[in-house]
Amino acid sequence: MCIASRYKNFWLLLCAAGLLAACEQRHDPNGNKVTVNPTPGTSADQPALPVGVDKSPMDMSYYPENYPVLKMQGKAGEKPVARVVYSRPQKHGRTVFGNLVEYGKPWRLGANEATEIEFFRTVTIQQKKVPAGRYVAYCIPHPDKWVVKLNSDLYTWGLKIDSTKDQFAFEIPVSKTNYPYEFFTMQFQSTERGMELAMMWDSVKAVLPIQ
Amino acid sequence: MKRLAAIVFLIATFVPSSEAQFKLPVLDKSPMDMSYYPVDYPVLKVQNKVNEPLLARVVYSRPQKNGRRVFGELVEYGQIWRLGANEATEIELYRDCRINGEKLRKGRYTMYAIPQPGAWTIIINKETDSWGAFIYDPKKDVLRTEIKTEHLEEAAEVFSMTFCKTETGVNLVIAWDDVKATIPFNF
Repeated sequence: MCIASRYKNFWLLLCAAGLLAACEQRHDPNGNKVTVNPTPGTSADQPALPVGVDKSPMDMSYYPENYPVLKMQGKAGEKPVARVVYSRPQKHGRTVFGNLVEYGKPWRLGANEATEIEFFRTVTIQQKKVPAGRYVAYCIPHPDKWVVKLNSDLYTWGLKIDSTKDQFAFEIPVSKTNYPYEFFTMQFQSTERGMELAMMWDSVKAVLPIQ
Repeated sequence: MKRLAAIVFLIATFVPSSEAQFKLPVLDKSPMDMSYYPVDYPVLKVQNKVNEPLLARVVYSRPQKNGRRVFGELVEYGQIWRLGANEATEIELYRDCRINGEKLRKGRYTMYAIPQPGAWTIIINKETDSWGAFIYDPKKDVLRTEIKTEHLEEAAEVFSMTFCKTETGVNLVIAWDDVKATIPFNF
């Protein structure tokens, strides 16, 4: 009896948590969008105005890390080395790799617009010189490795990448993370030998070393 | 029972913000977004529906009104404003153009505004990869132009920038709270 009633409380809590989550994000019936923190009485869900924030919002990561902030503090060089602009889908309780993201098939390393990497000077990745410039980045994930590709077909949507325009392919190992990453995350980081682009989602981490 | 309590605790803390627990990067309060001209260019491109060259793109962050009065309070009149949040708003022009009649060469720039009631000064600056307007240097301006603003009957909750086609060119429409600003471009 006691256990049964506690289980009931458990389910109540679960429902409450679910409701809370549902309230936080209101679905726009007109598209794949949600409105964050809607304020009653405003036009947040009026289709006439370009409002509403994407379900997989965009983000930016620089190397040196937080370059714009360092620059503001007078601690940064003339130019950044690299920048990635990508969108951040969320796990939402799903198994990501081998399920939501299939093994052996191109994956856009994000969501929405194709992920874009810009090198502000020539860099070396796996002994190959990668000229300064802008690239679309995508990947072919496998259980034990990712093949990260840099492609020259810019300003495209991530679901359709023209592989005939691949410029570089880098095979990198993957590792397991201690905790699942809810948000797909890309981050440039310093290393002893230079820098790396760390990519994490769910319980998988892949690292692309860059010199 | 302890295990059950632990599960309940985990779920209660996990649902609203699963990443905070492990110190992972949280979702930004003012998430970033991107607008192209032609509108939705990447989508048109994969659908083979592009019939105009790529002309412009803005990358900006989207703060929300959250019940506050924006212009004249949160964003002060007469002060430089970063047209967004976080990283300085970036505009990239893929062709030489005119903004409100003023010539501008193609390239990547940052973009700011000085809002006043009824009119904004729009500023295009060549110092890129900055944070907000904190190190804004007017010596690096490449263009300054004044535009009139309009009153919006229905307030825009989320700060928005979007391009649209006009009879004579392209407009960049900026909307937040009860203000709409339109910047005319000609390519």
